[in-house]
Amino acid sequence: MSVPEVLDRPAARERGAPGNGAPRKQLALRIREITPMGFLLLVAAIYLFIMVTFVLATLRTESSLIHQGAFGSMKLSRLGYDWDQLSGFSSGAYWIWLENSAIVSFGGAALAVLVAVPAGYCLAMLRFRGRRVILFLTILTMVMPNTVLVIPLFLEVSAVHQVDKLWPVAVMFGFFPFGTYLSFVHYRTSLPMEMLEAGRIDGASEVGLFGRVAVPIAKQAVALVFFFAFVADWTNYFLPLVMLPSTNAQTVSVGLQLLITTSQLFNPSSGGLNVQLYMPELAMAALLQMLPVLVVFIGAQRYLQRGALLGAVKG
Amino acid sequence: MSRASGENGILSSPGEQRVVKGEHFGVQVVAVAQRRRRGPRRRNISGLQGRSGLLLVAPYVALLLVVGVIPAGYAIYQSFLARTGSGFGGISGYKDAVTEFQFASSFAHIGLVLIVWLPFMIIGVIGLSLLLHGRRSRLVGGLRFIYYLPGALAGMGNFVLWLFILDPTDSPVKFLLSWLGYSSLEQVAEPAHLPVIIALMLFFQGAGTWILVIYGGLNGIPQDVSEAAIIDGCTPWQETRRIKLPLIRPWIAYFILINIAYASQLFLEPEVLGLATEGAVSPQWTPNQLSYTFAFQLFDVPAAAALSVILLLISLFIGVIITTRTGLFRNVE
Repeated sequence: MSVPEVLDRPAARERGAPGNGAPRKQLALRIREITPMGFLLLVAAIYLFIMVTFVLATLRTESSLIHQGAFGSMKLSRLGYDWDQLSGFSSGAYWIWLENSAIVSFGGAALAVLVAVPAGYCLAMLRFRGRRVILFLTILTMVMPNTVLVIPLFLEVSAVHQVDKLWPVAVMFGFFPFGTYLSFVHYRTSLPMEMLEAGRIDGASEVGLFGRVAVPIAKQAVALVFFFAFVADWTNYFLPLVMLPSTNAQTVSVGLQLLITTSQLFNPSSGGLNVQLYMPELAMAALLQMLPVLVVFIGAQRYLQRGALLGAVKG
Repeated sequence: MSRASGENGILSSPGEQRVVKGEHFGVQVVAVAQRRRRGPRRRNISGLQGRSGLLLVAPYVALLLVVGVIPAGYAIYQSFLARTGSGFGGISGYKDAVTEFQFASSFAHIGLVLIVWLPFMIIGVIGLSLLLHGRRSRLVGGLRFIYYLPGALAGMGNFVLWLFILDPTDSPVKFLLSWLGYSSLEQVAEPAHLPVIIALMLFFQGAGTWILVIYGGLNGIPQDVSEAAIIDGCTPWQETRRIKLPLIRPWIAYFILINIAYASQLFLEPEVLGLATEGAVSPQWTPNQLSYTFAFQLFDVPAAAALSVILLLISLFIGVIITTRTGLFRNVE
């Protein structure tokens, strides 16, 4: 492209530097150029190896995993077998967990969008008393790990006798300060104050203005808030573990833990289990529950790459 | 120039860029930001219109109270109750929590995890981001995607994956584990190894997304700064050390602080590893596990609440530092 881009290449940069050109130096340059790429590729290869062998484990038998190498014999028919074992566990509990996860995660993420986008708009565009306090609390709660209030929240929920109910979990997931911050930044940077002024002179109410001016340009904020909220909710473990103690109320991430601990692989005393739960079945359980996250993850990648997303990986 | 500003920060516009640049070039630009801030405030102080607008923020404030402020207050209240049930117990809950013999060790474990994990994470993430940055190869996008992908398996999914890798029974890297002298999961997951195991698990699931964040920070460095450095004869290493790293320092500070806060909250990995090895790892290995034990095994609610309050204060402290000291939220006001 332009000059700066050429200059950005280490090689071009070196060539421009004074006192270069001897063949030995050129060789050194080559090495210096290739080594970083080699390192990046090595790390990627390790990542791929880990992920691919894990996916392929669903196509293998436990005995193949034990006696053969990383890429032992595989059969597509193993998928059906794993599926049956998984479905047979505690009369289909796995599917109930998926359903529960879907309810609290979609519910929580949808609530997060509905609450965070107007709040972000309000904090960005309107001036009112308490605005700075709310902003400060938003940033503060956004950078704090979401596990920190789990036990206190449990005490609160059990005080009103709503343990094992899905709705309080969805409501808790609906509180998503990072989403409010994202919406705040979105509106502050993309909505000129003058547009609101014009609407106000026409006599529109503030809520009406939000509907007319802010909602049409909300798409990007909605997508990002939904993505982050959904991934955080779906993969959350500690909160549902505490709030939903009975087996049929659990979400899939807590259910996976039950699969591990009752599996014959890690608990030889569960001989009475009606299904065979070994690594292939566990891998399938982990991968199936990953699919919804994977879909939103790939969908959101281009939004993520647009720049530094503060707090994107909040614990 | 405009290219650089487009990549700086999420959804940023030229107006925002001015504020962000304030972090790099100091006083003068900050003043611009402040002038921008003061303008609208004078124009619409509440009034009837303004008050109807508050309906927009009300649901959020309600949730902030119900899910954030009230439980925190309720935990503080509970922490001062007597263990027997109702009635004021003074600081007996705190005494129970602090004098529990696992209390100090659980915090020591967090320290150990941080010692192993933090340098691994910092060097890994910043190193990979720097190596990726400034490389125009088509491969870069693909590499970034590969690093980012395990994030979709975060949490229990990632844990199952690492059980598969680390259990010598069916690991795809059996040769490596047997070369290290391990033949059972209990041997691999002995408590002394936990910091390394947790570091591996957390790096694998989290590094990719952080690389996107730091990479985005590097993209935010104005091109004219890099150009000037190269014209002045900077080697790539000097450019990294003297220009890139200092300019992305706020992001690095944020990254480190948030990861410390995250580590102080560890629960899943040691908990489930303990369950899978039938007790090779203590069920009170981290403070959160201890708090969980107090609440659900010992039914000592005041002690559980007291420990939660202590953990909350630690997070709060780190949160306040991030909010007020890193400079990342300076332009928010």
